[in-house]
Amino acid sequence: MITLDRISKTFPGTDIPAVDRVSFQVNAGNICVFVGPSGCGKTTILRMINRLEEPSSGRITVNGQDIMSLDPAVLRRTIGYVIQQIGLLPHKTIEQNVSLVPELLNWPKSKIKARVTELLVLVGLDPGTVGRKYPHQLSGGQSQRVGVARAMAADPPIMLMDEPFGAVDPIVRIHLQDEFLRLQQHLKKTICFVTHDINEAVKMGDYLIILNMGRLIQMGTPLEVLTEPADDFVLNLLGDDRGVKILDLTRCETLMDRDRNFPYNPDSCLIQSVKPVKIALELMMKKNIDQVGVCKGERIVGVLTWNSIKEHISRVSRDRP
Amino acid sequence: MNFDLDIFMDALTQRAPQYLVEHLQLVVIPLSIAAFIALSAGIILTRPGFRHLADRVMVLFNAGQTIPPLAVIAIFFPFLGLGYGPAILALTIYALLPISRNTIAAVSAVPREVLDAARGMGMTSWQVLCRVELPLSVPTIMAGIRTSAVLTVSTAVLAALVGGKGMGAIIFAGINFFRPELVLAGTIYIGAMAVAMERVIAFVEWLISPAHLK
Amino acid sequence: MGFISFIQNNSGLVLEYTLNHISLVLTVLVLSLGLWIITGLIISRHDRLAGAVISLSNILFCIPSISLFGLFMAVPGLGLGRNTAVLVLVIYAMMPLVRSVYLGVKSVDYFVMEAGKGMGMTPSQILFRIQIPMAWPTVFAGIRVSVVLITGIATMATFIGEKTLGRLIHQGITRGNADMIIAGAVIVSLIALLLDYIMGRIEKKVISPGLRYRTND
Repeated sequence: MITLDRISKTFPGTDIPAVDRVSFQVNAGNICVFVGPSGCGKTTILRMINRLEEPSSGRITVNGQDIMSLDPAVLRRTIGYVIQQIGLLPHKTIEQNVSLVPELLNWPKSKIKARVTELLVLVGLDPGTVGRKYPHQLSGGQSQRVGVARAMAADPPIMLMDEPFGAVDPIVRIHLQDEFLRLQQHLKKTICFVTHDINEAVKMGDYLIILNMGRLIQMGTPLEVLTEPADDFVLNLLGDDRGVKILDLTRCETLMDRDRNFPYNPDSCLIQSVKPVKIALELMMKKNIDQVGVCKGERIVGVLTWNSIKEHISRVSRDRP
Repeated sequence: MNFDLDIFMDALTQRAPQYLVEHLQLVVIPLSIAAFIALSAGIILTRPGFRHLADRVMVLFNAGQTIPPLAVIAIFFPFLGLGYGPAILALTIYALLPISRNTIAAVSAVPREVLDAARGMGMTSWQVLCRVELPLSVPTIMAGIRTSAVLTVSTAVLAALVGGKGMGAIIFAGINFFRPELVLAGTIYIGAMAVAMERVIAFVEWLISPAHLK
Repeated sequence: MGFISFIQNNSGLVLEYTLNHISLVLTVLVLSLGLWIITGLIISRHDRLAGAVISLSNILFCIPSISLFGLFMAVPGLGLGRNTAVLVLVIYAMMPLVRSVYLGVKSVDYFVMEAGKGMGMTPSQILFRIQIPMAWPTVFAGIRVSVVLITGIATMATFIGEKTLGRLIHQGITRGNADMIIAGAVIVSLIALLLDYIMGRIEKKVISPGLRYRTND
C-alpha cells in the first residue's frame, strides 16, 4: 500500500508548485492511474514514490514505512520502474538487461538465469532467440515487453509505469494493454500508472487520480468518474463519448429489468449478466431488435431493453448544470 | 631556468614581428587553395555517380593523415629545392584532409527525407545542392576549415626547415642556440595568429550560416 | 624505390631509430591513457572544472609541438632528451583523450541513466555499468586519434636529441637526401597504421556488439 500525505513539490527556480498538496492512497493489488494533460504533475508524483524526485513537503509511505527513512537505491530495487523511453542498456543483451536488478540484489546465477527465462516467456518473448539479442535488434513492441520484464525481474510488489505503452503504434498498444491486464490478474501487483490518454486510463485503471496543474481534481473508480465528473475540466478530459464509455463499464445486470418476463424462443438473443452493456447494444443493433435476455449461467434473470439503455445514457451523461 | 628578459623583449618586439607577414602567407595561401580543392572534391564525391568512390577516398585520406607533418614538409624539398614553393605545396596538402573529410561527412549527413522533400517540390539537382545540401552543411564544413587553419598555423613553423621562413625561423633558432626566449616570443605570435584565424573563420561562418543556426 | 635500398644499407641505424620511436610512443601512450582517462572521468562529474580543463587542452593543442619542445628543454630537470619528449607528447595527447572520455560519458542517453537509477543503481554503479561501457566507442575513437598523433609528433623529438625516426627526415633535409626522408616518413606512417590497426582489433574485443552498430556513423 502506498500513501501520499499532502505532497507538494516546487522545482528550484520556479514559483508555481508542480505538485500541490496531493493526498491519496493506492491499495495493494490495484492499478491506480494518474491521468491529466502534460505538466499536470503526474510524472513528478510517480517519480517521488521511488525518490527520483524529493517532495518539498509532505510524507510518502510504502507499506507503512516513510520512504525518506530508506536508502534510495535500496528502495528502488524493491519497486519496478517502466518508462516510455524504456532505457534498455544498449551494450547489454536482453538477458543481461532483464538480469540487472537481480544482480544488484546479488541473487545466485542459476536463480537469475531461471528467472530471466520465466519472465521472457511471461511477457510473450522467446528466451532462446530474443534473449541473446541486443536492444537495437528489437522492434518497438518487443522493447516495451523487455522493459516490463526487466521491471518485474526481482518480483517487486510495487510497479511504477510512466506511459509504458506510449511509444508503440495503436494496434500494438492495445495488444500490450490486454496482455498486461491478463498478467495482472495473476500477479496482483500494486501499480501506479501514468498516462495522458483517458481511454487507456479507463481501460487499465481500478482507480483513477485526475490531475491538473499540480492539483488532484478527482479520484474514484473509472465508472464513478465517468458518471459523476467533478467539474468541467474532468468533463472535457473524458471526451464526447462519455456515455458510450460508461456502457463499456456498466454490466448488463445493472440496467436489466428483473421483473419483466422474457418471451423465450430458440431464436432469442441472450447475454451473460457480467458482460458490458456495450456488447448488448451491439447485439441489438446487429440483429435489429430492441431487447435481449440476460442470463446468469443457464438461467434467465432479466431483460435488457433498448429504452432502458437510452434512458441510462441520457440520465448519467447529461451535462452538468 | 636561464631566462634573459632582455633577449626575450628584443625577440618579441624586434626579431619576431618581421616574420609575421611571411607566416600569415604560409597559412592563408595554402588554406585558400586547400579549401577550394577540398570543397570541390567533397561536392563531386557526394554526387550520386561518385558516391561509391567517397569511401575509398576517405580511406586514402585517413591513411594520409598518418604521415607526420615533418615528413609532408620534407618530402617535396628534394624535388623542388629550398624555398617558399615546396612549403606552400606541402602545407596545402596537409590542410586538405580535414576540410574534405568534413565536407563529405556533412553533405552525406543531410537527411534523406529533406532531400526527397526538396526534389519533390521540383528543385533541380543544382538547386538542391545550393539551397539545401550546402547551407545545411555549413557548420561541419566550417569546423573542418577551422581545424585546418589552426593546424596550418602551427605546421607552418616547419616551413623554416626547408627554407620557407616564417615564424619557424625564430623558433628553430631558439632551439639550435638553446634560447627559450626566442621560442617563447615566436610561440606567442603563433598563438595569437591561431586565435585570430579562429575568430575570423567563426565570423565568416556566422555570415554564411542559414538563419536558424545563428 | 631508392628508400628501400637506403633502409637495407643502413639497417642498423634504421632499426635503432625505429625501436626508439616505438618505445617513446608506447611510453607516452601508457602514461596518457592512465592520466587523461581519469581526468576525463573526473571532469565528467564537475561541469565547471570541465569547461576549464577542456579549454586548457584546446589551447595547449594549438601550440606548435616544436615550441613546447623548445620551451620545456630549458626547464631545469627536464633538459634535452627523453623526459622532455615524453612530457610534451603526453600534453599533446590530452586534447583528444580528455575530450573523447568527457563527451563519451556525457552523451550517454538520459533515459538509459534514468532507467538505471530507477532500478536502484548507485551513482558509482551507473558510472561503471552504464556510462563507461557506453562511452567506449567514443573513447576508442579518441585513443586512435591520439596514437596516430603521438606517432607523428614523436618525429619532432629529434630536435631535442631523441633518436626517433624524425632524425632520418631531419638529416635527409640537411643532406638533401630524398631516400632518407622517404624512408623515415614511410616507417613512421607504417608504425602509425600498425598501432591504429592493433587498437582497432582491441576495440572490437572490448566494445559490446550492442554498441557496434553506432561506431560506423
